[in-house]
Amino acid sequence: MHIPDGFLDVKSCVTTGVLGIGAVAYSLRKTRLTLSRPEVPKIALIGAFIFAAQMLNFPIAGATSGHFLGGAMASILFGPAVGVVIMSAVLIIQALIFQDGGLTVLGANIICTGVIGSYVGYGVYRLGVKWLRGHATKAVSFIAAWCSIVSASCGVAILLAWSGTFSLGVALQAMAGWHSLIGVGEGLITAMVVAYLTERNVAFDGIPSKKEARLS
Amino acid sequence: MNKQPDPVVTNKRMKWIVMAVVTLIAAGLISYFASPHPDGLERVAANHGFIDRAKQPSWSAWIPDYEFPGIHSAYVRVGLAGVIGVATLFGVLYALTKPLARREEVESHGEGDHHSS
Repeated sequence: MHIPDGFLDVKSCVTTGVLGIGAVAYSLRKTRLTLSRPEVPKIALIGAFIFAAQMLNFPIAGATSGHFLGGAMASILFGPAVGVVIMSAVLIIQALIFQDGGLTVLGANIICTGVIGSYVGYGVYRLGVKWLRGHATKAVSFIAAWCSIVSASCGVAILLAWSGTFSLGVALQAMAGWHSLIGVGEGLITAMVVAYLTERNVAFDGIPSKKEARLS
Repeated sequence: MNKQPDPVVTNKRMKWIVMAVVTLIAAGLISYFASPHPDGLERVAANHGFIDRAKQPSWSAWIPDYEFPGIHSAYVRVGLAGVIGVATLFGVLYALTKPLARREEVESHGEGDHHSS
């Protein structure tokens, strides 16, 4: 879902450009307040994983493909501010080095897949964890990721309609329709990776046993 | 229904090594087999007649379209592009977030990550 140059008009590009710069600055500041050193290589690796996973387009209905986005996954693991930082880094490198996604629409791509994707994914996940009291976290991750990608596609639809490509109703229906299918892949990958990379510490309270320390 | 503790990100080194290996295999070996069909947005743009609005970039990137230029084998072109992308992302995010990390340890949960860096 990388918007290319030319799809959006000047006012959309400028507006999302300003919003995108603001969002990245805010996220970097927030990240600086909360980040701990052991998280640094993990964040870098998740960014690399998201780049790799985004290359793997999988076929969906009607000679169409979809690919993983990763905003929900990154923000479930590290919080939405880090999610925005990771997604922005992925989008900027994809645009600059690989010509995937335009330069004038970089802000729009950051707002949609980065900001909307991360915050919706994180919000749905937190709500689900709270409502289900921490049970069924795989299902919660799946739904959070699905909502994340569908809402990101709605963001793109709104920008397309605002740029005068086609009417808002048609845009929302078309974008959300296709991305509700792609969202199944997003949900599956997110649920698997989050389940693999998270754990519950109930056996000990803060002090690792010798066995735990050796395993880690 | 009793309340489960919040899941936290693991510190098990092995799991992160597996993630790194999966990432490299995905980008380097599997990426060539990705579906060439248009993605969701391109499909919508084609169906609604504005795919032609997409501008050809006026500049040339280092590795356009995820294919490393100047290599005969398409499999190697795509795989090399993937590995370069993975390494770039890791490097950029590491260099960007390292100076932002002030705290030594994760506050709320001090599980097993006591190797000092």
